[in-house]
Amino acid sequence: MGVEIIIKIAAIGLLTAIIGQILKQTGREEISTIATLAGLILVIIMVLNLIGELFTTFNNLFQF
Amino acid sequence: MDIIIKIVAIGLITCLATLIVKPVRSDFAIFIAIAGGLVILFLVLGYLSDVFDIFKDIISATGISSNLYRLLIKIIGIGYLVEFAVGICQDTGNSSLGDKILLGGKIVIMVMALPIVTSILQIIMGLLPS
Repeated sequence: MGVEIIIKIAAIGLLTAIIGQILKQTGREEISTIATLAGLILVIIMVLNLIGELFTTFNNLFQF
Repeated sequence: MDIIIKIVAIGLITCLATLIVKPVRSDFAIFIAIAGGLVILFLVLGYLSDVFDIFKDIISATGISSNLYRLLIKIIGIGYLVEFAVGICQDTGNSSLGDKILLGGKIVIMVMALPIVTSILQIIMGLLPS
């Protein structure tokens, strides 16, 4: 929990961009789309986990 | 003093990461920004609980009912949460959606604050000579 998650998301973004480019160059458009989508979903899950953690923290702290 | 260096460092790293990623994949930049904001928030929220403990001690010393205190804490929490959500909405370019969240937060706070208003009114009515 900390700065790692920011670096992780940035790394996933750059990696999926590179992979998408390579797959596009080799002519596999549909696999490139799926790879890009997978990266996006991975990042969305990470951010959603973080937001869920925020809500539980708020619940504990402010006793909603 | 240690915490502020951490916050500034995480903010700058988030900034740089979004700058690097934005030209390659602009949709990821927003997620990095959200994650950075959340990480900073998590760092600070731990300190807030210490402040609330001290508040609790002060309130119990004055003899004000703890229900009012908890209401106040809840309202502060709603304020922080709404501000954070509105910030994300404005970052993603949906500032009108952010305004609606803001309006919702305001209305919820108003509804929650009604018991305080009625209790003040009751005190004033009690003071008035009949």
